[in-house]
Amino acid sequence: MFSKSKPMWGKKTKLKSSYDVVLIGGGLHSLATAYYLAKEHGITDVAIIEKNYIGYGGAGRNTAIVRANQRTQYNVPLYKEALDLWPVLTKELDYNLMFNNCGNLNLMHSEAAMNAARMTIATAQFHGVESHLIDAKEAKELVPALNISEDITFPIHGAMFHPPGGVVRHDAVVWGLAKGASKLGVEIHQQTEATGINTKNGKVTAVVTDKGVINTKQVLISAGGYSAALIHGFLGIKLPISVLTIQAMVTQPLKPILNHVVSSGAYHCYANQTLKGEIATGAHMDQWPNYTTLNTAHYIKHQAEALSEFLPALRGVRFMRIWGGLADMTPDMAPIMDGNEQVEGFFMDCGWGYFGFKSCSAVGRHMASFMATNTCPDILKPFALKRYQEHKLMGETAALVSYTPDN
Amino acid sequence: MALTITCPICGKRNGYEFRYGGEEKGPRPDEKDLTPESWCDYVHMNRCVAGVQQEWWFHRDGCGSWFTIFRDTTTNLEKETPEAKE
Ligand SMILES: Cc1cc2nc3c(=O)[nH]c(=O)nc-3n(C[C@H](O)[C@H](O)[C@H](O)COP(=O)(O)OP(=O)(O)OC[C@H]3O[C@@H](n4cnc5c(N)ncnc54)[C@H](O)[C@@H]3O)c2cc1C
Ligand SMILES: [Zn+2]
Repeated sequence: MFSKSKPMWGKKTKLKSSYDVVLIGGGLHSLATAYYLAKEHGITDVAIIEKNYIGYGGAGRNTAIVRANQRTQYNVPLYKEALDLWPVLTKELDYNLMFNNCGNLNLMHSEAAMNAARMTIATAQFHGVESHLIDAKEAKELVPALNISEDITFPIHGAMFHPPGGVVRHDAVVWGLAKGASKLGVEIHQQTEATGINTKNGKVTAVVTDKGVINTKQVLISAGGYSAALIHGFLGIKLPISVLTIQAMVTQPLKPILNHVVSSGAYHCYANQTLKGEIATGAHMDQWPNYTTLNTAHYIKHQAEALSEFLPALRGVRFMRIWGGLADMTPDMAPIMDGNEQVEGFFMDCGWGYFGFKSCSAVGRHMASFMATNTCPDILKPFALKRYQEHKLMGETAALVSYTPDN
Repeated sequence: MALTITCPICGKRNGYEFRYGGEEKGPRPDEKDLTPESWCDYVHMNRCVAGVQQEWWFHRDGCGSWFTIFRDTTTNLEKETPEAKE
């Protein structure tokens, strides 16, 4: 991967001693920000600093689900923009992102959940996002494999159906954006670790890396689950984040049985069938913070039990591959995007938990505008770190019954 | 990798018996002179250490004790002291 041969996205360049903008982390958010900095603002003296290789983090580990049926008026428009961007980016980047808008079916297991779904659907519809409430029988018509009998742990009362969502090939987004950004002049430096940020009189002056010091006036930390530790380590800024391992797995390939992404909050489980036929499924997060990214027997068992209850046709099917990644969770299940606030020239884009894939395109675009103009776009304003102090939490989670790292 | 936690009353037990209670942040700030900033800092803010941290646990499915331990967040292993290395 790091051999002399040329990387697939462009030329390998030497790390310079200064750039206009440095982006820490080679995930989707940095790649998208770099791409839009170059494309929409003509800022091309940009370096992405990546400790391992691009796509090493959540970018290459997520379960690729995209949707725009979030809960609050601040989040829905951002995710809608991101969802609308997939076909646009596919063309623009001339790269097949394999957007499969098969629709998402979010199962509801109580009347209270159905009521909560009504509100979420009303919000979606108000913002022009297609979303419907359907009953258990209609859900069964959409997904015949679904078990709608009453004798399972969490009987299905109905579902929130969101036709425009689906899945996008996550690796393709990494490669496509890397290629697109690199073509416009952005440099991607893999195997380069950021180890500090230098400031003087409250302003960013340089990024320190294991390959040397890079002078710059602007730096963005968007290093997925690693962001919070880096931001605290480099600048002493604490964040309302808990970093948890989240696990995923795929089964052996099967004939087509699942036409939609199916998810269940009560079962802490979601699944979709990949184009190869595997059932890709994700679990809830570990219950305590950790950076291990290891799978545990606990969740493999949990996943098997949950799937064989609400999709009983999967009983006896084998898991083929398992993996884990990091989710950086905030108390209100909404991200933190901020800049020029704590330190002039310092920007952050983190707290994306397990929903930072679907948002990356729109977020990159707005973060680029934020950095290029030094003016926070209106759409990002509610996501500032200050909101926790002001007690303006976002309400992406309906009620904080017990305040835990994973909510 | 199995997580085990040592409860001061019950000894070393399976980690799933416990509920994580957050990073150790020192005493609750005094009501006097409390600002939104210092309260927010106490309630919400974390260091997110990738390494050994002191943290609270609650023996939920056991004796009900609250206590702190040191744990390496990169390995899930309990440590005797904050400096403990592999
Ligand atoms: C199992 C799993 C399933 C998920 N499913 C979904 C989903 O279905 N839909 C969805 O929207 N989201 C999902 N997510 C969340 C999503 O993947 C993340 O929110 C998103 O990828 C994080 O943003 P990123 O891609 O910019 O960062 P990442 O890809 O996490 O990038 C961070 C990068 O920073 C690098 N780095 C770390 N430290 C340093 C340093 N000191 N210097 C330089 N570089 C450094 C790392 O090597 C890494 O490559 C999932 C995540 C996981 C783990
Ligand atoms: Zn005990």
